[in-house]
Amino acid sequence: MMLQIKDLKVRYGNIEALHGLNFEIDRGEIVTLIGANGAGKTSTLLSLSRLAPPDAPTVFEGDILFDGESILKTEPHKLVEQKMMALVPEGRHIFGNLSVQENLDLATYAVKEDHQFVQETEDLVYNLFPRLKERQKQRSESLSGGEQQMLAVGRALMTGCKFIMLDEPSMGLAPVLMYEMFRALRELNKNGITILVVEQNAKVALDFATRGYVLDTGEIIASGSSDELRNNKDVQKAYLGG
Amino acid sequence: MSTTATIKTKKEMNLWPLALFIGGGIIIALGATGSINKYIQTVIMFIGINVILSASLNVVNGYMGEFSCGHGGFMLVGAYVSSILSVLLFTNSKWLGHPILPPSTAVFLFPVIIIIGGLVAAVAGLLVAIPSFKTRDDYLAIITIAANFIFVSLVNNLEFVGGSRGFMGMKGTVFAMEDVFKAPYMLFWTLTFCSLAVFLIKRLMRSTFGKGISAIRYDEISAEIMSVNTNHMKLVAFMFSSGLAGIAGGLFAHVMGFINPASFSIMKSTEALVMVYLGGMGSLSGSVLSAIIFTILLEAMRPLQILKWVLIPLMLILLMQFRPEGLMGNKELTDKFPRLKRFFTRSSM
Repeated sequence: MMLQIKDLKVRYGNIEALHGLNFEIDRGEIVTLIGANGAGKTSTLLSLSRLAPPDAPTVFEGDILFDGESILKTEPHKLVEQKMMALVPEGRHIFGNLSVQENLDLATYAVKEDHQFVQETEDLVYNLFPRLKERQKQRSESLSGGEQQMLAVGRALMTGCKFIMLDEPSMGLAPVLMYEMFRALRELNKNGITILVVEQNAKVALDFATRGYVLDTGEIIASGSSDELRNNKDVQKAYLGG
Repeated sequence: MSTTATIKTKKEMNLWPLALFIGGGIIIALGATGSINKYIQTVIMFIGINVILSASLNVVNGYMGEFSCGHGGFMLVGAYVSSILSVLLFTNSKWLGHPILPPSTAVFLFPVIIIIGGLVAAVAGLLVAIPSFKTRDDYLAIITIAANFIFVSLVNNLEFVGGSRGFMGMKGTVFAMEDVFKAPYMLFWTLTFCSLAVFLIKRLMRSTFGKGISAIRYDEISAEIMSVNTNHMKLVAFMFSSGLAGIAGGLFAHVMGFINPASFSIMKSTEALVMVYLGGMGSLSGSVLSAIIFTILLEAMRPLQILKWVLIPLMLILLMQFRPEGLMGNKELTDKFPRLKRFFTRSSM
């Protein structure tokens, strides 16, 4: 197992947001975490990325193991430096007043020495999202929502991490763009990138992922392969519209 | 492509240091021969000090995008530390007795005590930066204002440095230096430290480290998940900035010959803030330019006495109305006038 989450409990101030999550992700998988608003999806991702309290919840119980080692004490920038995991945050968080190219360059902060890797990954990103190539010199603020999302994914790739976590990649995207995004992600997965995707749009997420967990008010209420979840009566009722 | 770019910059010869050197040299020569009077010299020194202040505050408020408004406090730390050292080491004073070192050594050791003042101010900056990690925006502003008040009240209540009456005797060090060899020392050191500070800030912001600092301004969460160690960056940027403020304080103390806690109150911090926002956040040449303009403006309005504190805020309001990004925005002088860049950066081939 690449990533193991054991009995993870987190809180914001005094409010407990996750009440003991258990799940695991293996190399090369596409796993989805679905759930309604406030179920704790983003909290899970933020605690995995180890961001510090004002931005993320505090883990007070449980453990996060990456390749068998606890990363609870690892700082977020170290996670990226050691090429463990990259986060594509909700709302994209791209550097708005930098150009597309500059955004990608900034993501190579930790791997800068490795010119060959940077060049190869840059080519990969531009092949995957030809639109970004067209907009290379443009201020990233002026990109459309879909393009910004592509940039956020591209930026995560540039860090050299083989495990990418995406927070609501479909948010605010037109269906066409959304499918294009998932097609690109699937292609990345074929190249050996492990993906954890958090989604509110359960239908799309289950079509995309091979396995999933259903989150409700800070607990996992169902898990299994995408097909199993799709046929699960409770999940259907709650998230797939009966 | 990037490799060719780096090769190209290596072959370029930068004429900026040379221009600075010649300009500074002329001013110092004029000062030494007495061609410019003492008043003008003092104004030039204040410009130098204010340039250090605004450029260093720009590192935190401009490039890093945090809001620190306790710059006066760090200036106070630097001013008092270097003044006490200066009086203790080189002069005969009522409080601290005979000089520990022969006064003539001040010629060489003067920059050292100024730098020590800066280092202590940097440590003070560290003490303020640590609790500010968990806060952001308004909260950092509150912490730094509080720190400013703490430093001022602390010195107000320290009887052995004169408390609120102030501390003096630094002129003795300047005279001791002049006894060895007559020269406008303060003018020389102010201009030297000022150029050094600007040069250091420029190098820092151009480095990979500096890019990390800018990334914090654009988006702190993204910076962190792009492997920028934001805590470390904030710490270093804050220490660097307050250290330079301390150096400015030390120079200020020796130019004035007298300091009291009230000169480094929130008013001084506000002046530094005004200069940063007047010049434009994240523009080094903007900070330098605005420090020059602001200092000259203050001096020019001296005849208006108290009325200048009506006019200056009014001008600020107008500036914010018509040019909210400041004089330079986040651009540098060379971005606005590419010709200037071409003139100063010749290819040596």
